[in-house]
Amino acid sequence: MATRNKHKTLTKPNLILIATLLVTAPLSGCVMLDEASSEDPMDGELVIVTYDVLALSEDMISGFEESSGLNVTMLKLDDAGSILDYLIQNRGNTNVDLAIGLDNTYLQTAIEFDLLEELDLDKSGMSAPGSFPGRSSMDPLEPYDGPLAVPYDMGYICLNYDTEAVDGENLSVPTSLEDLTEPEWRGKVALPSPVSSSPGRGFMLASLDYFDWQSDEGLQFSNWWSDMVANDVVITSGWTEAYETHYTGGYGEWTEGYIGDAHITVSYCHSPGVESYYNGNWTKSATLDIPKTSLFQVEYASAVSGGNALYAKKFIEYLISPEVNSMMPYENLMYSVLDGLDLPEEDGYRSNSQIPAAPASIPMEDIDDHMEAWLDQWNSAVTSGG
Amino acid sequence: MGRLRGTLGSIAVLTYLSLVMAPVALALHRIISVTGFTPREWIQSLSENYISAGVLEFTIVQAACSTILTSMVALPVAWVLGRYRWPFEPWIRAVLTLPFVIPSIIAAMGVLTLVGVHGANIRANEATWWWTLIASHAWFNMALYIRFCEPLLSTMDPRLEEQLRLLPNGRSRLSRIRNLWAPLLMPSIAAAACMTFVFSFTSFALVRWITIRDDTLESMMAEVSSSAGISGYMETSSQIVMGASMIQFTILLVCLWLTSAIQRNRQARLRLSSPRRLDSPSWPAWLVLVPAMVFAISPLASVVVGSFRIRDPTIGNSAFRWGLDGWEAAIHGSFSFPPMSNAISNSLGYALVALLVALPLGYLLAATIHRLERTRPLLSRALDISTMLPFALSAAMVGLGVLIGVIRLNPQSLYQFWPLPSLAHVMLTTPFVVRIILPALRSYEKRYEENAMVLGMGAYARFLKIKLPLMRGPLVVSSVFVIAMSLGEFGASFIIARNSDWVTMPLLIDAWRAKPMKDPLSAPASNSIATVLMLITMGLFLLAERFRSDRQGGMF
Repeated sequence: MATRNKHKTLTKPNLILIATLLVTAPLSGCVMLDEASSEDPMDGELVIVTYDVLALSEDMISGFEESSGLNVTMLKLDDAGSILDYLIQNRGNTNVDLAIGLDNTYLQTAIEFDLLEELDLDKSGMSAPGSFPGRSSMDPLEPYDGPLAVPYDMGYICLNYDTEAVDGENLSVPTSLEDLTEPEWRGKVALPSPVSSSPGRGFMLASLDYFDWQSDEGLQFSNWWSDMVANDVVITSGWTEAYETHYTGGYGEWTEGYIGDAHITVSYCHSPGVESYYNGNWTKSATLDIPKTSLFQVEYASAVSGGNALYAKKFIEYLISPEVNSMMPYENLMYSVLDGLDLPEEDGYRSNSQIPAAPASIPMEDIDDHMEAWLDQWNSAVTSGG
Repeated sequence: MGRLRGTLGSIAVLTYLSLVMAPVALALHRIISVTGFTPREWIQSLSENYISAGVLEFTIVQAACSTILTSMVALPVAWVLGRYRWPFEPWIRAVLTLPFVIPSIIAAMGVLTLVGVHGANIRANEATWWWTLIASHAWFNMALYIRFCEPLLSTMDPRLEEQLRLLPNGRSRLSRIRNLWAPLLMPSIAAAACMTFVFSFTSFALVRWITIRDDTLESMMAEVSSSAGISGYMETSSQIVMGASMIQFTILLVCLWLTSAIQRNRQARLRLSSPRRLDSPSWPAWLVLVPAMVFAISPLASVVVGSFRIRDPTIGNSAFRWGLDGWEAAIHGSFSFPPMSNAISNSLGYALVALLVALPLGYLLAATIHRLERTRPLLSRALDISTMLPFALSAAMVGLGVLIGVIRLNPQSLYQFWPLPSLAHVMLTTPFVVRIILPALRSYEKRYEENAMVLGMGAYARFLKIKLPLMRGPLVVSSVFVIAMSLGEFGASFIIARNSDWVTMPLLIDAWRAKPMKDPLSAPASNSIATVLMLITMGLFLLAERFRSDRQGGMF
């Protein structure tokens, strides 16, 4: 469901500014985008379409409203896929100015449908992979460095496992995806669907790379997914259901509807760090670092075609400013995209967060060219399995 | 006056066609333009897609099991209610039929509170959630059996059974059941079973909240609705929607036709008399009634209790305290959710708009059908059938009709048009208004009007001073029905309004409960909004009961 939150704390219109604009705008012909980055407050409404992104907290939005003078209205949808659906359905309309939450597995489709507006923004503070050892392989501009989307957070999607259940005695730690099709893993793996979940989509893309989809047109990929279904894999509609309802290694056991039948699920490589941070330096969840089973995910903020790009730009500048973006590990449970910033060290956040040694890699162009076919192939595999 | 009636009738029919039928026709046109007219592929797509594979089988099996269990639970209740004279009988009947008028999202919250991880903790087990769903459907539909069977049981002359006892074919209890009760009750049971099957088949809120990983056709259509009807994007969603709609429409149509045929047959057989009951209930009758009352009340009580019960993570994850925190969170809202007052005002607004459109429209349609029955019976029958067709459209199908057929015509303007969700409520409630008003018009005594005419009363005066007061009961019942149905409507609103700021009470209940992460206030906040909606619905229900003519085997 979506809800709109209207922040009524408008700063009083600056009469002098309005008078100045009224006088100077006709003279200059138009107000250029670049001029909008000035520190002068504006007056108007910024409409953001997003999902329940934790970083967009009340304090964060209030801070923006106070500094910009804009009134923020948020349209909160279910997930990244819902944002794309919404933008496609509302193509050419001017209801929405800014989309926050599309990731590198959905972005290309949004670009293809011409849903996004170009913005000229300074991204130099993001483009220095290796600025510190912890995130040497993480370049937020690597999947996409164009004018249509700006990264605001990132992380690796990968398998997590419950170290108490997978203790090497009752269950051995898998070393390959093929291990998960063995009888000992029957019904003990929960994977979100790539049709409706972005982590699910990320893991499906990783599995394509794992099985070298180009060499056999995805035959091994299809066979593995069929074998997983035959082995009673739990496929959920979204990450929340997989992690909260089925996974035994996370906080789900305290939530309503918890089943706890899966010891392996798809989440982020730093999810065990998050668990540890919120549990006073304790977690039983760990990253399962099998080569080519993790995928680098970047989430983007984009101006929406037909919306007010000026307002969108103002918000994105705020979102990627050091004071806001440095809080991503706390506020959004993801990595900041800025150079020199890593996860915090306290309560085992960083020490329990692993950077995968050999992540999968699928270029954005391939994602755009083949996503529909891959989803069909995945669908055929899981419906024929079992 | 005759010309005015004709003009009003024509306007009503045109309004009905454009408001109720056109959205569905436009939605069909748009989806078919995406998928092509390929009915076989639509049906095949259901089994070929992961999202929809197995959904049809699950829908049919759970609906069949729900029907069987409901019969087993509700028939003894209808029997004891109809055969004995109970103290506080109107209240007992009201309590036992209450579940049917309570919005399903409230039922879902109540059941979830009872069986969830902080209740009996049996939901997580696949074997138990299946039976939890079936039992929930039995809870919801129990009233149907009472409404269909109890009038017959309470008006049966006990001397009939006494006489049968003297005959060779009536000496044993079994033979009396076989030779008397079964033939008499079977049509009513069959009609109630058909309706139970329909409501279980189209179940959405209960399936969404009680099952894990399983969908009915209804809930599956709601899930894929956001990507349906878009050319060049996720076209399988459109195929799935078409396949599911076709199957659902056909099954509902057959069930409703069966119900209608059975009821006609039943009404032809029945000769109702004033209630003649055994004097006081025996102890086995108490053993049936008391658990049934507890069964009916428990989920509703758990919603109220659950609104004050707060999980306290500072003490332990299974520790609770009592407080108003859930109410405060719901009343004030949060960054993610608007305050309860927004949802209440929206819901009341939509209900009012639905009432202002559906009531006059339904009345005029019923009056037109009634008028044409004498002059043009064929046309009257055609109009009568067309006003019943929407009964075969589920809430999700109506929601898809509004989303794909109307909103996508011009999303920018239409998403700004606040009353739009009411359109779905008008589509869902107008056929019910026609069904309530039409029998009342048929039984309306023309003599009163003829006498008034002789006394020189004008047409408007006759309408205002004679017809309107005599029709007050059905009009009040219709109004209450429209308001209650609009307030509790979840399936269509879920599809239309979840991507907008048109938040209603059922949507806010759902949103609070679906909040990810371990917020201890999400369950009590959703329960507190559900409590408010439940109290409003109960008030409306009691109002309708005052005006409902007694012993009607109706649906409300």
